[in-house]
Amino acid sequence: MSDPGTLALAAAASAAVEIPTGDGLATLAFIGESADWDFVFSNADYLGVGALLTIGLTIASILLGFVVGFPAGAVEVYGDGLLKRVVSTVGIVLRGTPIVVILIVMYFVVGVPQINLGVASISSAMTAGILGLGLRSAAYQSQIFRATLSSVDEGQLEAGRSIGLSRFEAVRYVVVPQALRRSIPGFQNEFTIVLKDTSIVFAIGLAELLTRGYDLFSEQTTAVLEVILFISAIYFVLTFTTNRALDYLGDHYAIPEGESA
Amino acid sequence: MSDDNDFLRVTDVSKWYGDEKVLEDVSFEMDRGDVTVLIGPSGSGKSTMLRCVNRLAEAQEGSILLDGEEVLSPDLDVDELRREVGMVFQGFNLFAHLTAVGNVALGPRRVLGLSETEARERAEAQLERVGLGEQFDSYPAELSGGQQQRVGIARALAMEPKLMLFDEPTSALDPELIGEVLEVMHGLVDEGMTMLVVTHEMSFAREVADEIVFLDDGRVVERGPPEQLFDRPEEERTGRFLERIASHD
Amino acid sequence: MASATRPAAVRERVADADRSVGRLLLVAAGALFWGWLVVSWVNRWLGGVIVPVGQPLVPPGAVEATFGAIPGLAAYAADAAFVVELTPELSRGTWLTVVITAVSLFVGFLMAVPLAVSRVYGRFSAWISLGYTELLRGTPLLAQLFVLYYGLNLASYVPGAFSGVFARDVVWVAIVGFTLNGAAYQAEYIRGALESVEEGQITAGRAIGLSKLETIYYVVLPQGLRYAIPSWTNEFVYLIKYSSLAAFITVPELYYRADQIASETFRYTLIFVVTGVTYLALVLTASKLMEGVEDRVAIPGLGAEREE
Repeated sequence: MSDPGTLALAAAASAAVEIPTGDGLATLAFIGESADWDFVFSNADYLGVGALLTIGLTIASILLGFVVGFPAGAVEVYGDGLLKRVVSTVGIVLRGTPIVVILIVMYFVVGVPQINLGVASISSAMTAGILGLGLRSAAYQSQIFRATLSSVDEGQLEAGRSIGLSRFEAVRYVVVPQALRRSIPGFQNEFTIVLKDTSIVFAIGLAELLTRGYDLFSEQTTAVLEVILFISAIYFVLTFTTNRALDYLGDHYAIPEGESA
Repeated sequence: MSDDNDFLRVTDVSKWYGDEKVLEDVSFEMDRGDVTVLIGPSGSGKSTMLRCVNRLAEAQEGSILLDGEEVLSPDLDVDELRREVGMVFQGFNLFAHLTAVGNVALGPRRVLGLSETEARERAEAQLERVGLGEQFDSYPAELSGGQQQRVGIARALAMEPKLMLFDEPTSALDPELIGEVLEVMHGLVDEGMTMLVVTHEMSFAREVADEIVFLDDGRVVERGPPEQLFDRPEEERTGRFLERIASHD
Repeated sequence: MASATRPAAVRERVADADRSVGRLLLVAAGALFWGWLVVSWVNRWLGGVIVPVGQPLVPPGAVEATFGAIPGLAAYAADAAFVVELTPELSRGTWLTVVITAVSLFVGFLMAVPLAVSRVYGRFSAWISLGYTELLRGTPLLAQLFVLYYGLNLASYVPGAFSGVFARDVVWVAIVGFTLNGAAYQAEYIRGALESVEEGQITAGRAIGLSKLETIYYVVLPQGLRYAIPSWTNEFVYLIKYSSLAAFITVPELYYRADQIASETFRYTLIFVVTGVTYLALVLTASKLMEGVEDRVAIPGLGAEREE
């Protein structure tokens, strides 16, 4: 503990000393301690803002992931030569590196600046979070789209060409619509992974849900378990709702014949 | 109507899937060593009837006495019953992760408790019996349909069953592969095996059956020895069915 | 026609050659990486038989001199020497990363099989299994680690027999966390694979007199677990990467050590790039390893038609 590292690790190291979780397992019996729950609920709005940040971060990252990941997947299926190789190598690196390393690199190394939009500004931690989570998600989304694009029958492309569409048009109007529908299950998975992994921006001190929870229980150390259970419940509701919503979307856009299974 | 020596006696068996009645008061009986063939249009309930005998399907009413024991009794040890009744499936259902020998040896090894060596020896003997002496270590995916079905038969035989059930054993096969399976079944008939067979192979049925049972809509329309049923059917429905089958051949 | 195919064939062959060169480089890099790791570990366990404990296997000075002598690389000589200086700490951290991942994956697997089986074939137990997997998969891993470490203070409850195995008892907390979490994900993958085993396989098992449990054990699992290998490999890879979160409950694994050195030396770029590459090497090794396992246990016809 003599050499606390960057930001969050330093916090974790010092908290390990300071937080007298003391009774440990015995605290299980005191989960019902009303004072601690009162503390949690009186700070519900503080955590609520954190939850909103979590949601915003998730949506922004998924969108960035889609905007970058879809073309990347298409390049892996239809491209060739150097471009394809570069895309697939970058993908392997992003998928093979822990998200916490990616985030730290974005934050400290790339050193993204604060973005000022006039009315609002996006902190550099937020930008680093979106870039890190978004690009990593792009690497995974490219694999979803690669798989679904290549799962569309070769005959579909030929049929498209046979009615006079160019290769690009045939892909655009025949293959892509089918592939996107088939991507929904994989996309569902990716969405919840990103949602849960937003908690790791804790490492760069971005005040989303988990970080705020951490701040709270560092303040009132008897309420550690109550706070974490409360924020876990929020995460659970978020992932559960997302999953059901995407289930619905999947059913709604499913093509008869059930080939999406 | 029948004597007390009946080996298998099916009496008034009925079965529903929800509201739909798929078997209605089906009755027939067989002696030891008999071959009975169930025929009828698809959806007539013949496969379901067959499956009721080893309780892969549950009949709700009636009685099935096998060797004097009530098959439908709730107290019956179903695994014990299946040990004694072999079954061959339309879709082979070979264990995809095991070789031919592995498929045949699994039952003797795990159900009968034979040693590894004994089980293997028995499996090899049964595979030789169905003419697959060369394919011991092939996986199902490496065998033709006809060979797969013969492994299926060997797998059932390895349990030394007292009754064999065949559920359309040749329906999933290409025409040129049907012969080898029927040949193996012929051999079993010659050895005196008691067999209850669902099939569309009418010439096979005529050659080997002691009795033909014609089912339609879950009911026994007509039953009798093949020459009677095929040549002088009493029921109009039987005649129509046989004509339809003949015109397809 | 022939003239049209020939350039394509040539291009194909060039690409093949490229690929095999790439393969060779990858194998060489892998051998170097694991050679370095294993020798460093052995050196530490045996109390520094090769070089004193805490010293790099190769003197940084020598590396700097070598790089300096090669034109074009001279500019990187100081960086290379710095990286070499890091290696003892990195290999120490990597050891914990590997151990935590391996133990959690293995114990998690032992939990996941019954979880998956009861989910598919159980009645009441299916609901328990569903509840467990949904809860664990629906909340962030980091929050789960916080519950165990800060909430339950599990580190002070490590039984005597386990205490002292690692330098810090908190390593056990991380292992418990990853095991419980990984079991949920593994169970989900295995469940999917079990469900893809054909119904007829079970019918056939029952028809020769195997009980339901015996049929699952002798027929369904051997096939289902083979189907599960590719997605299970994913979980393996995920676990390697997410083991880095153990740093946030003070487990001195790879990421933790990298972070410490970075905050002392302020050389973030170099250190985190090297750390990332180390994780990447572990991940690539794991997926190559699992490809090998998949080939080893492959059975003709099994899994091939699963693409449909």
